[in-house]
Amino acid sequence: MHAAPHPRFSVLSASAAQSSEHLSPAASSTRFSLPSAPSINTTAPASKPAPPRQTIYDRPLNKTRAAEVSASAFAFLFSEMVQYTQKRVNGINDLERRLNTLGYRVGMRVLELMSWRNEAAAKAPKREIRFLPALMSIHTQVWRAVFGKPADAIEKSVENADEYMIIDNDPPITRNISVPRDMSQLSCSSFTAGIVEAVLDGLGFPARVTAHNTPTDQLPNRTTILIKLEKSVIDREEALKT
Amino acid sequence: MSHHLYLLSPSDTPLYSLTHYSSKPAQTTTTSPLASNLPSWSTSAFAGTLTALSGATSATQAHHVQGGTVRIGGGQDRHVIQMIANASLDVVEEVVRKDNMMYLKSVDKFNEWTVSAFVTPGNMKFVLLHEARNDDGIKSFFHEVWELYVKTMLNPFHTAHTPIRSPVFDARVRASAKKYL
Repeated sequence: MHAAPHPRFSVLSASAAQSSEHLSPAASSTRFSLPSAPSINTTAPASKPAPPRQTIYDRPLNKTRAAEVSASAFAFLFSEMVQYTQKRVNGINDLERRLNTLGYRVGMRVLELMSWRNEAAAKAPKREIRFLPALMSIHTQVWRAVFGKPADAIEKSVENADEYMIIDNDPPITRNISVPRDMSQLSCSSFTAGIVEAVLDGLGFPARVTAHNTPTDQLPNRTTILIKLEKSVIDREEALKT
Repeated sequence: MSHHLYLLSPSDTPLYSLTHYSSKPAQTTTTSPLASNLPSWSTSAFAGTLTALSGATSATQAHHVQGGTVRIGGGQDRHVIQMIANASLDVVEEVVRKDNMMYLKSVDKFNEWTVSAFVTPGNMKFVLLHEARNDDGIKSFFHEVWELYVKTMLNPFHTAHTPIRSPVFDARVRASAKKYL
């Protein structure tokens, strides 16, 4: 898993997608930095009777070298997730919606963890309250936390005032997925759309987020994440602008 | 001197609550300005919310007006505390829209209780009721609770509405309270 040849990108080591690791912290010693890691445990005496088990509270939140996951491992997990969902749905929309829900659960944790890693050292930690700075932070920080690099483009729709788009030229999670021609509308980046939706929801900007394939000649995998804000957000932004 | 902490989900359900009795010496609490002018038996109703509600007799009321620490024998009235915390949520929501800090200092005051709040980027609210001023200590305390909350949240079985019942979390929060409050 840690061999050099594997192409890696830094998926959040503690994301919800890797649920098995959390169930048995002792068994995960192969992947995460374990007992020798400096724990943030300051004062609590271990009043447990038998050998104190490592709990999730003992592991440090900052990224350690050993916390990166190989892309192939994630691709395997993601393919399982898509197959699992595919067996239980009847329709592309439903499939996209389920992937969206799975991404939502990851996104909730991405938001908190990313903010913690960025702001914990600061004297006065801040949160985003206006929409445009929040969108910019999604574009750079969330993408960097999850995929390792900022997204490729961010656009505002001219037709509707409440639509924004984030464009990724080659989303890593769908790189190894080939979609059959009769399902060409499907975009497994609905998972990423779910992550974005959770981040926006957490910050207080409820929206509907979907993913669409927009291939061009040079970039056959180009994907657009479409963000449609709810009316309440638009009204609030208008009120705050004045 | 006691502190009451509530962790509230984005839909305002309490996920965790803690009462902590600080062993640190209480800073001199200012007597309410009414106390000096009005006879002691009437102001004591305002000076000590809890004693007033628990119906203390006039003999004991005389002690409390002096502004020393209020020693309540037996349990405090938890319903009042919860009511105060709930009432402060309106103020918190208002401040949250305008202020981009996570740590909102003291947002509300009710008789001798001050309410301080901390809002995480995921819209979880931590509400602390306390009697004396302790901005730095409270800020560090919230910071540690935030870190513990992030770790709790990483559990894939935990949603934003699950009550937090882990004894480890409880122990850590108590230790942190003892350190900072």
